[in-house]
Amino acid sequence: MRVLIVEDEPRLAENLATALRDGPGFAVDWAEDGLAGDEFAANPCYDLIILDLMLPRLDGLGLLKRLRARRDATPVLILTAKDGADSIIQLLNAGADDYLAKPFDLGELIARAKALIRRGKGAAHPTLNTLGMEVNTLEQTVRRNGTFVDLSPTEYRILEYLIHRPRVIVSKRELLEHLYDYNWEHHSNVIEVHVSNLRKKLDAALPEADPIIETMRGRGYRLAPSFPANAEPDTEAPDDPPTESPR
Amino acid sequence: MKFQIQPRSIAFRLIVAVLAIELLSSVLVVVLSYGYERHIHFHAFDVMLHGRADSILGAVQDANDPGDNVMLDQADLHVPPEDIYQVWDENGRLLGRSGNWKDAPDWKTDGGAPPSHPWGDYSVVSTNGHHYRMLRIQGSRTIDPGEKGGGKVRKVTVVYGSQTGHVWHIIHSAVEFYAGGSLALLLITGPLIAWLLHRGLLPLRQLAALASQVSVDSWQFAPPASARTTPELAPLTHAIESVLQRLERSFIQQKTFVSDAAHELKTAVAVQKSSLQLLNMKRRTPQEYQAGLEDSLRLESLVADMLTLARAETASSHPEKPPTADLNDCIYHVITQLETIAALRNVNIAFSDPIPDKAILNLAMPADDCRLLVSNLLLNALQHSPPGSTVEIRVTREPGLNPPLADLAIQDHGDGIPAEALPHVFDRFYRGDPSRTRNTGGTGLGLAICKAIVQQAQGGIQIASQPDPAQPAQGTTVTVRLPLAP
Repeated sequence: MRVLIVEDEPRLAENLATALRDGPGFAVDWAEDGLAGDEFAANPCYDLIILDLMLPRLDGLGLLKRLRARRDATPVLILTAKDGADSIIQLLNAGADDYLAKPFDLGELIARAKALIRRGKGAAHPTLNTLGMEVNTLEQTVRRNGTFVDLSPTEYRILEYLIHRPRVIVSKRELLEHLYDYNWEHHSNVIEVHVSNLRKKLDAALPEADPIIETMRGRGYRLAPSFPANAEPDTEAPDDPPTESPR
Repeated sequence: MKFQIQPRSIAFRLIVAVLAIELLSSVLVVVLSYGYERHIHFHAFDVMLHGRADSILGAVQDANDPGDNVMLDQADLHVPPEDIYQVWDENGRLLGRSGNWKDAPDWKTDGGAPPSHPWGDYSVVSTNGHHYRMLRIQGSRTIDPGEKGGGKVRKVTVVYGSQTGHVWHIIHSAVEFYAGGSLALLLITGPLIAWLLHRGLLPLRQLAALASQVSVDSWQFAPPASARTTPELAPLTHAIESVLQRLERSFIQQKTFVSDAAHELKTAVAVQKSSLQLLNMKRRTPQEYQAGLEDSLRLESLVADMLTLARAETASSHPEKPPTADLNDCIYHVITQLETIAALRNVNIAFSDPIPDKAILNLAMPADDCRLLVSNLLLNALQHSPPGSTVEIRVTREPGLNPPLADLAIQDHGDGIPAEALPHVFDRFYRGDPSRTRNTGGTGLGLAICKAIVQQAQGGIQIASQPDPAQPAQGTTVTVRLPLAP
């Protein structure tokens, strides 16, 4: 997941970025004023925008209004040092998804950030049960068919992104953009290795099934459905045993 | 025993004043009317009295006796019975008198001198409980005018008196009428004036009611048109409006400062809190611990600057001798302190001290304030100086003025300040370009502190900048004008 921090206080932005990288393992970009934030946010690669209110050049509210005016649905978490219900109401009405008052707790910030990303992708519970997999986004652990799958941080992040977009072809570029910050291009040659390792580890947990991640040559990757009921015409494996998620 | 005089309302005082004037004028009217009525009625009375005395004189006839005497023929006399009269001849012989002449004094010998008044002599006499106005006239009768030699002339004196009671009665009723009328007028005008004043003061009460609605939460004050157009109320309305505007402005300023201060403090606390929590999240290197520790310096300097500003803005009383500070000393002191920073940034500090006589640069301010002022200004200049440039400090003296002044100018050769930001640089927490100044570690209070110090010392501070990209070397010049100690 990739997060944009728009914050003019360098030390605070630094701390936030470190916390988000070290904790949930997000890729983080930092913009130090409203206009720069607007330029960054024009790229639809962000899964969450953390926005300070008092910003030079363009304030947080203005940036938020611009985002929503161009139908950008990226979740926005506001950091505010202002008191008063009025400004909070105004912010939420302008399209903010959540807010935190300074000084905030980093743990709370991370939890809210995760919840917002999850909600933004249509999931309510932090444990994702799909395609016979159980992904616990809090512990960052994965079980397939009841078997614990040991993943590296990058592999886990790839899976977490893909699991939010089942049956959709995710291009390599999209995957890269959401996993790495602005210098994602440097990682383009290793992503294939990571995806390949991830596929191996997941398939090892359920050897009789078809590969869970399809590689669509020249188009990207797809987390394939394992359920016959959800089978699409281009996906075979009718003999795939239905894996029940509740045990 | 002392009586405290309660202050009365303006309306009450006006009513009392008007009624007092009215009372005074009615007394005057009564006095004048008394005099006038008396004059008119007694004039008429005297004319009548004279006529009757003349008719008495007409009744004096030849007695047809050998002595050629005269006599008073009372048979044809038609005078009011209550009148009194007496007639003498020139020898003092009583010719006749009215029947009711009883206890009246004998007027024969009274006043031997001839009356000077053409109508005779008036006097007042009271008898039998009645007041009489008396007239004495002298006339002459010619006895036997047909005889040879023209006959004899006999002089006759007539004293005639008539009762004055009814005249006084008329006069008194007239005066009573005037007095009663005035009193009635007084009684009517009192409440009338009170009512009129009440009505007349309505705009004042409306103004007061509107002014009383002004509070800290609502500064709305829309005076009614009547208050603006009334000449007496216009200055008051204007004064209230301008006072409210000034109050509101300073209130908003205070509010802005508090909210800005809260924002700055919360941000600083947020930085520190996140740094500490970050240290807790996993094992950190000593460098990271050090960075976390340094975040507390930010909070510390912010609090210190806010306290300095608060101290500089509060008027301090110096009971002993007024403080003095040597400007040159301060500058040298600050340069020594900031030399390392200047060397780090590769900036030169050029200070030429053109005045050899150091005693004449004694500023009328505490030395700490002076050092803080110079230090803030110099640090600012250093922070905005590109490497390799020079910060110039100039001191000039204006001895001709009273009190004598010293000018301190600090000039950098940085990028300058945009014209739109220039009026705000002395505002508290103002940052021309926040991302830049935050990186240089300022709290946004430095120039506000400078301004407060200079104002406390009765001086002035100015900033001039040339943000012209074509001439980037112009930089920014801050000029401080400070009064010298006497």
